[in-house]
Amino acid sequence: MKLSFYPGCSLEGMAVDYARSIDAVFQALGIDLVEIDDWSCCGATAAHSLSEAMSVILPARNLFAAEQMGLDIVSSCANCFNRLRFSQQMIQKNVLDIPWPVTGDLRVHDMTRFLAEPDMIKQIKKRVLKPLKGLKLVCYYGCQMVRPPRITGYTDYENPQTLDRIAAAVGAQVIDWSYKATCCGASIGIARREIGDSLTKKLLEKARQAGAEAVVVSCPLCQSNLDMIQKDRLERPIPIFYFTELLRLSFSDRGNPKWFKMHFANPDQLLKKKSLL
Amino acid sequence: MNTVVMKKERVGEPKSERILIGDRGGYFLKKIEGETRANISACYQCERCTNACPVSHFMDIKPHQIIRYVQLGWREELLKSSTIWVCLSCEMCTTFCPNEVGVAEVINHLRNIAAHSSITPKERNLAVFHQTFLEVLRKSGRVNEFRLMNAYYLKPNILHEKIKSGNLKEELLLGLTLLKKGRLKPFTSRSKPIKDIQKAYKNTRGEIV
Repeated sequence: MKLSFYPGCSLEGMAVDYARSIDAVFQALGIDLVEIDDWSCCGATAAHSLSEAMSVILPARNLFAAEQMGLDIVSSCANCFNRLRFSQQMIQKNVLDIPWPVTGDLRVHDMTRFLAEPDMIKQIKKRVLKPLKGLKLVCYYGCQMVRPPRITGYTDYENPQTLDRIAAAVGAQVIDWSYKATCCGASIGIARREIGDSLTKKLLEKARQAGAEAVVVSCPLCQSNLDMIQKDRLERPIPIFYFTELLRLSFSDRGNPKWFKMHFANPDQLLKKKSLL
Repeated sequence: MNTVVMKKERVGEPKSERILIGDRGGYFLKKIEGETRANISACYQCERCTNACPVSHFMDIKPHQIIRYVQLGWREELLKSSTIWVCLSCEMCTTFCPNEVGVAEVINHLRNIAAHSSITPKERNLAVFHQTFLEVLRKSGRVNEFRLMNAYYLKPNILHEKIKSGNLKEELLLGLTLLKKGRLKPFTSRSKPIKDIQKAYKNTRGEIV
């Protein structure tokens, strides 16, 4: 199977570890990810905040590049996925002139839903060498991946299940909680720190209350928000894993602590306790 | 006996003088409805949006009030509010609205109007951050976090405020740790089709700089 891959800007910087784990996982699953030729930024929140036209045009260029390759797109970042889907719908509705001859016919997958399809779950289960037994997790989806449902196509947007299914497939104990899709504040913490902090602190507190030992995410910004607030070493840190990191861990019989050295909330202790590392 | 003391007018509070509905309300409502294709007239003020909003307590005009203000045509109050900048576009309000009003889309559109108006944003830093993001994007086609943060700190007043609030040292240390951990990349990779993107900026008058 061959797919075009839209990594997004964070995967070159803050989320290099995410990019590495994606490479490893897709290699193990035998799926060929081809990075979109000269992809450019999707504009994220800034583009639609200040110029609605640019929020359609910027992702459209990437859709066009993928159409040239003729491969369906898979996106690892929640916001990029949302913006690509939004742009695609606007192109189909023909609301404004796009400088490129783009049709918007390709399918845009978000990575979690792609891997949570029944076939893929089977493939994942086949490759698990070391089930993550006894690891208590909560899955955190954030907002952009599931909302608004008319753009993302999620039908279970109040209680999404894709990450839950993937985490359960590798043997982890998934705990249900009520804050799956509550916003983490995104980039607001940079300009208004108290708003960002109040949102992330609440999420971590609720995860603790639910009895979780770690949080699974799929969005680079959610990860850095939830992780960076734990920079002042807490007594009981809650590691924030990308879901692909967990897949990678379960696919190999010996984990490598190097994979997690970019995390602030260090998961070494937890994983050693569960003899997973 | 007129004992009403004229308080200093605050954004978010209705003016002391009553503005009649339909005075200019009809025009503004129709304009916003047409541009966003949101069902603003269908709002019956159930406050579901405000209850769902994770940041409503940081807003001066609450999301359901935003919709009401649009119905009333209170343009200046809306554009001067902090709400339009604090909104995270998390789409909780839109998703759970029983009448499918599209609250987040309306707020986003108001933010667009405010960005292109002469009104000073109430949340200046948030507006500056968005603008910096687009500037960095226009330069290299991709956004490098290291360059973004540098450019943001060099904007007027931002550094000054950080020094005054005493957060500067902490944030510099954080940046250093991030560099050490390899999460920040000092060098940027350029997307080749940058010329096309810059042209699109110009043609859509996307440049807000």
